[in-house]
Amino acid sequence: MSAVAAAPRARRWPRVRPGVVPAVLPTVFVLVAFLLPLAGLLVLSLRPTDAFNFALPGFSLRQYREVLTTPYLYRSLLESLSLAVRVSVTCLVLAYPVAWYLARAAHGWRKTLVFTVTLSPLLASEVVRSFGWRIVMAGEGPVNRTLQALGLTDASLPLLRSPWTVFLAVVHVLLPFAVIALTASLGAIDDAVLRASADLGASAAQTFRRVVLPLSAPGLVAGAVIVFSLTMGIYVTPLLVGGANQPLAGLRVQSEAMVTFNQPRAAALSFVLLLVTLVVCAVVTAVGRLAERGTRG
Amino acid sequence: MTSGRVEVRDLRLGYHGELVLALDELTVEPGEFVSVLGPSGCGKSTLLSALAGFVEPMAGTVHIDGEDVTHVPPHRRETGMVFQSYALFPHLTVRRNLEYGLRARKVPRAERDARVAEALALVGLEDFAGRYPRQLSGGQQQRVAIARSLVTRPRVLLLDEPLSNLDAKLRRYMRHELRELQQQVGTTMVFVTHDQSEALATSDRVVLLAGGRLEQVGTPEDLYRRPRTAFVADFVGAANVLDVRTGPGGEPRVLGRPYDVAAPAPARVALRPEVLRLRAVTGTDPEGSVVTVVSVGFGGERYDYRVRTADGRTLLVSPPADTAPHPVGTSVALHWEPGAVVPLADEDGAA
Repeated sequence: MSAVAAAPRARRWPRVRPGVVPAVLPTVFVLVAFLLPLAGLLVLSLRPTDAFNFALPGFSLRQYREVLTTPYLYRSLLESLSLAVRVSVTCLVLAYPVAWYLARAAHGWRKTLVFTVTLSPLLASEVVRSFGWRIVMAGEGPVNRTLQALGLTDASLPLLRSPWTVFLAVVHVLLPFAVIALTASLGAIDDAVLRASADLGASAAQTFRRVVLPLSAPGLVAGAVIVFSLTMGIYVTPLLVGGANQPLAGLRVQSEAMVTFNQPRAAALSFVLLLVTLVVCAVVTAVGRLAERGTRG
Repeated sequence: MTSGRVEVRDLRLGYHGELVLALDELTVEPGEFVSVLGPSGCGKSTLLSALAGFVEPMAGTVHIDGEDVTHVPPHRRETGMVFQSYALFPHLTVRRNLEYGLRARKVPRAERDARVAEALALVGLEDFAGRYPRQLSGGQQQRVAIARSLVTRPRVLLLDEPLSNLDAKLRRYMRHELRELQQQVGTTMVFVTHDQSEALATSDRVVLLAGGRLEQVGTPEDLYRRPRTAFVADFVGAANVLDVRTGPGGEPRVLGRPYDVAAPAPARVALRPEVLRLRAVTGTDPEGSVVTVVSVGFGGERYDYRVRTADGRTLLVSPPADTAPHPVGTSVALHWEPGAVVPLADEDGAA
């Protein structure tokens, strides 16, 4: 339930309510294409395995035990969690001023330019963008050469192996989602409410903290949930930028499933990843709702 | 307690270099209720924005209580604004909305609570302190908006068409309530409206703007009884604006009837529909005053006629509905009391 200003009218028509029928087909499609395989995966993750890691009939929690006790696996979950938190916070912080500008600036070429540039990552495929990062951050790439020209470093730095390069690449890929989510909720704030705040004696900083920030809570929550979920499962970008040895859960699932061929273990790891993601998203949503209500001070 | 005297001098307001309003002089006395009236686009909302500090004037000054506030930002002006959309904070309860301005001023908690309670009582919303704006009716939201501004004890309360989102019945009720509230708290109020009956009913004085300039300032009675121009006569109440013709003996006539004025006769006069009477034609009626009934509507106490003169002009006539109406198509004679004719200033091209 978002805090939308009630229309100041004494009488209102009832809302036009759609029937459920048009929504049935897409819902069924999602059910079949997503939930059914997921159920299959759950069953697979609970199977015992033979010496060659093939699933046997029966029931076993062994794979979950392995996921939670093997450092190679549980550390990848912690690493993904850490990356997702850092990426989400960074994306929201970077997106906020852009979204504020896009939501409230007058139309014109400047706004069109900002809009196009910030959303441009969505126009290219993840593979193309990630490959671009490889070129930029390569041993003989422009970043290394600039650093050397400035005398900041003598030898070429292994930038591609740095986790910060992966972090930057993931922020770049996901920033547009945060911009879109925030632009929608910042655009919904009535100008008169901002004027009322100033008129009542609040400085710009106070207006931001007591009015803009709480009213943008739905956008912050939506942006955080989208960026966080996408980072938790991200695969292509870290693979192409940093290589397959990145200790991230998405890459570990792939290597368990396709390299070691331990499919029950890959399934168990996927499920723990999904669970962690859902729990964090639920907490973020709940906190957002609370923040929307009472404001501090 | 502040007094709330507002003085505007040589004010020029506009956007992007385009002049919207030119106002040479306007003073609102402490505790006065002044309406700024005019058709849309006359610059009345821009004037209010300039008083609140949202619009920087192109030229001129605004003084409040002798202090030049022309370049003081809105949050330091100590004015209170009631917005057309109310602009309540949707994420805050009624109590929090009222506390907002007090928190910004760092008013201590005990005093804050007392002032909020007082303001809630003033608008009769003591039981709604815990509600969110969306849980209130339009009329209640509007009272919250007024209380939220008054609780900060502004030097002047600015109201931007605050009644226009309410339905007709509530609007008439709130009109009285606003007037009574103003007399109770004594705060200077500047009330912007496009509704002349609202302006007449609430105000000590009315400022009538048109086309970006001042048309007339005066008490509601002044504007109604002594409109300076045809525009004012027609905008404040309805009016039939008529040319004064010269009769065979050189004497001034209105619609063929002699017009007795001591001073030189004006070129044009106004006749309000309410002062006109229709009677059966007697044969002594001058040609100009015999008209044909075009349509008639029942307006409760009065009939609202449209009649056509011999030279094709349409006039509005609203006599008391104490007899059966004259049927459409019949010829009737127009009558009025000599004192009912309102002379209009010669200049002004508006009409």
